[in-house]
Amino acid sequence: MTPPPAMSVADTMRPPPEPPDSQINKDLLGIMYHRISPGYLLLLGAAMLSVVAAGATWVYQIYIGLGIGGYTHPIFWGAYIITFVFWVGIAHAGTLISAILYLFRAKWRNAINRGAEAMTVFAVLTAAQFLGIHVGRMWKSYFILPYPNQRGLWTNFKSPLEWDTFAISTYATIAIVFLFIGLIPDFAVARDRAKGIRKLAYTALALGWQGTSRQWKSHTRSVLHLSGLATPLVLSVHSVISWDFAMSLVPGWHATIFAPYFVAGAIFSGFSMVLTFFIPLRRIYGLEKYITEYHFDNMARFILLTGWIVTYGYASEYFVAWYSAVEPEQTSFWLRAFGPYWISTWVMLFCNCIAPQIFWFRWARVTPWILFVVATLVNIGMWFERYVIIITGLSREYESAVWGIYTPTFAELTIFAGSFGFFSMLFLLAIKVLPIIAITEVKELAIHEKAHGGAH
Amino acid sequence: MPSIRGVYDFPGPVAEAATKLKDRGFNDLEIYAPSAFPELDDVIDDKPSGVRRWTLIGGLLGVVCGYSMTIWMSFDWPTMIGGKPFASIPPYTVIGFELTILFGGIATLLGLLVVGGLPYGKFGEVDNAYSPRFSAEEIGLVVSCSERDVAEVDALLRATAAKEVDLVEA
Repeated sequence: MTPPPAMSVADTMRPPPEPPDSQINKDLLGIMYHRISPGYLLLLGAAMLSVVAAGATWVYQIYIGLGIGGYTHPIFWGAYIITFVFWVGIAHAGTLISAILYLFRAKWRNAINRGAEAMTVFAVLTAAQFLGIHVGRMWKSYFILPYPNQRGLWTNFKSPLEWDTFAISTYATIAIVFLFIGLIPDFAVARDRAKGIRKLAYTALALGWQGTSRQWKSHTRSVLHLSGLATPLVLSVHSVISWDFAMSLVPGWHATIFAPYFVAGAIFSGFSMVLTFFIPLRRIYGLEKYITEYHFDNMARFILLTGWIVTYGYASEYFVAWYSAVEPEQTSFWLRAFGPYWISTWVMLFCNCIAPQIFWFRWARVTPWILFVVATLVNIGMWFERYVIIITGLSREYESAVWGIYTPTFAELTIFAGSFGFFSMLFLLAIKVLPIIAITEVKELAIHEKAHGGAH
Repeated sequence: MPSIRGVYDFPGPVAEAATKLKDRGFNDLEIYAPSAFPELDDVIDDKPSGVRRWTLIGGLLGVVCGYSMTIWMSFDWPTMIGGKPFASIPPYTVIGFELTILFGGIATLLGLLVVGGLPYGKFGEVDNAYSPRFSAEEIGLVVSCSERDVAEVDALLRATAAKEVDLVEA
């Protein structure tokens, strides 16, 4: 009889095998390590190409001057300011999901908050560029900052444009801080499983995180306090942007409803942009287990709610224009709907007021392609909303002798398209280097659910 | 001094074990958790986190800076704008508010680093008791005790549903 093979000395000395890793880690880190497909490269290439085209156009604009835009007297705020306001609006969903829903203990946010926070940062970075593009001589943009100078002059703190500078820079900083704090524990998850250069990078970014009780306690308190700070901030930023318009006397702009109506519009468009990017992401990386119908349902409800607030804002503007009996106001609003820019107004009304009504039905709120189509329509509608407010307001002021017509030029549209390219490029790169779904937060729910026998 | 590590699946039993250990006088405890669990928040240290002081001081500093900067600059080169006072408090409230949030937020990040002890240790080094298991889905409870208490701690950890108990180098 043959004796059984003797266990080698090396086998007895080998440490026991590592316990199996968490499926959540595998799935969510898997997005970063997923094979780079031709489709991904094609999208990234297209995004980069549009950024290069926009960059080249910008350089040309700096060389030639703002005359290559469609500016015409009296319209000196055009596509760049429209696009700036549009991207600041997009930036609102991230902080709303991260901060406000955190304070309300809405745990469903856990699967989408990281991606939305990242989109906030990217949207603010995209928006900020438009201030430089809009002012033309962008190398003098620093004039807006209160810095000590030889002339002894300071900036005008009574101007809404100065408030805007403080609001946007604060928002960008807080958004980055929020994103980074949330990422620290997830960087540690990535560090423990990465190799090579990625390991070095994640080790540096994780700051030695080990999930000790002291670290978690400080972390949860930081997130809580940041949420407390970011909640009024998110409401203030678009309010301040709206005051850029509302503080002036331009017909159609000088309205007290602007702040809440802008904030609602920002959340409306922000949620739509989150859906526009998350629906394909979920499909491509098989994240149906993490981003569920429940998330879609809730986001669609937010879109429906904020869509109605925006609709109320539009109705209120028309009512106040009529009720005020101020002729330039009435004319301005009449021309919005039936004047030279009627198409933009009706596109805005269709996309923002009518299209989201399909979300009264649950089947529409949980069907990805319907959500994707409506979210895209809302994005289009929200860009047109800013177009309608800015252009019709400026083009039809008090004196009919100085009325003008503005049409965006090819240069402005190229830079506008480049902004989408820039935003998409950052998002596409981010999903390959950052855990785009908050691993530790998803795990908290999963472990509690398991502890309660799946009934949490 | 030996350290004994218990590995758990759920936070509830960890909280129970840690409380029992503290009741018996074992105060040198550490927990490694893959996520933030409310059950474990105050188990090791029930004092409120010091991060709140950082946020408060940052916020107060911000509001003071916001108002003082705008008011001082308005009087440094007085310019009448729109018939408003040189230093006009309502519009300066926007700046005061934004700087409150900005300074408060940055101070909160600093508070997290200081109070949470980050960056922790030397680059790339982790505690001996730490394992990548604790960034998966398991929770580790580590107790430092004298040699004669090892059996008691071991028994207590096993009695509170620890699925593994082992000795680790301190």
